[in-house]
Amino acid sequence: MTTSRPIPPEEEIRAIVGHAFPGGVYTVEHWENFLLTECTGADLLPGGMVHPVVLFHMPILGSKTTIGEMFALGQAESDFSIGIESYDWEMFAPLKEDVAYGISGKIVSAERRTSRNDRPYDRIQFQFEVAQPDGALAARTTITWHYRRGVL
Amino acid sequence: MNVKAGNVKAGDRIPDWVMESVRPERMRTMAAILRDPNPVHWDRNSVAALGFGQHTINQGPLGLSYMINMLHEWAGPGAIRRLVMTFPMAVLDGDHITAKGVVTGVREEAGRRLADCDIWLERPGTEPPLKGTATVELT
Repeated sequence: MTTSRPIPPEEEIRAIVGHAFPGGVYTVEHWENFLLTECTGADLLPGGMVHPVVLFHMPILGSKTTIGEMFALGQAESDFSIGIESYDWEMFAPLKEDVAYGISGKIVSAERRTSRNDRPYDRIQFQFEVAQPDGALAARTTITWHYRRGVL
Repeated sequence: MNVKAGNVKAGDRIPDWVMESVRPERMRTMAAILRDPNPVHWDRNSVAALGFGQHTINQGPLGLSYMINMLHEWAGPGAIRRLVMTFPMAVLDGDHITAKGVVTGVREEAGRRLADCDIWLERPGTEPPLKGTATVELT
């Protein structure tokens, strides 16, 4: 949980561009795919295929970060101050249960902007890559969040 | 049955996929899987303090998953190549949500036949809470 804080200097926000997470390996086991798929209201996909909604948390956890750390890197005022601009998920191969995927992630953009109602916010983009055991890219995801300032 | 690739053309409507009522217990399970500490997904009082009433707020990826389910039923599992999604409004527990889509174009790329689509969630009485685009491989 983050806490209320003053608006961070713009240079501190710009300085996080290039920050790379440790990276690692993530394997979706059957139980996780089962629960995840149930949450979507769908039946399990055939052939051990993992529901693509995994592409939100698998890259984050697999690159050895957390949603909380991502909030903190952008000096979020609180959990409630984050707005989603977009999620961009590119899929090059279906993900399968019990396969150890290599995950990497970094911050690719961070800049201060002003909203239409003249309030400052910081637009921060995180990009993650999911690689198959042979190194071929299976997916790439880009998360773009707005860190709204002065909203508390 | 999945759509026949050769029959797809711009303007085609993708069959709807319906979530009759967004269930709060699924948000709690999802919060645990995501290791997402944000209380808006499981604590009604924190959501009420934000002005949304006694509700919980659905995770953005769960709303997106309804559109994935729609595309899977239309084009088959594993057919999605890209999703770009925006989240203009929150989806709340109890909402009746319909995933909808329309083909905006069909193209060939590296020997693959791809359909570009506009996709969105529909909720009675509001603007679409989620909307975006998808690229689907037709086989």
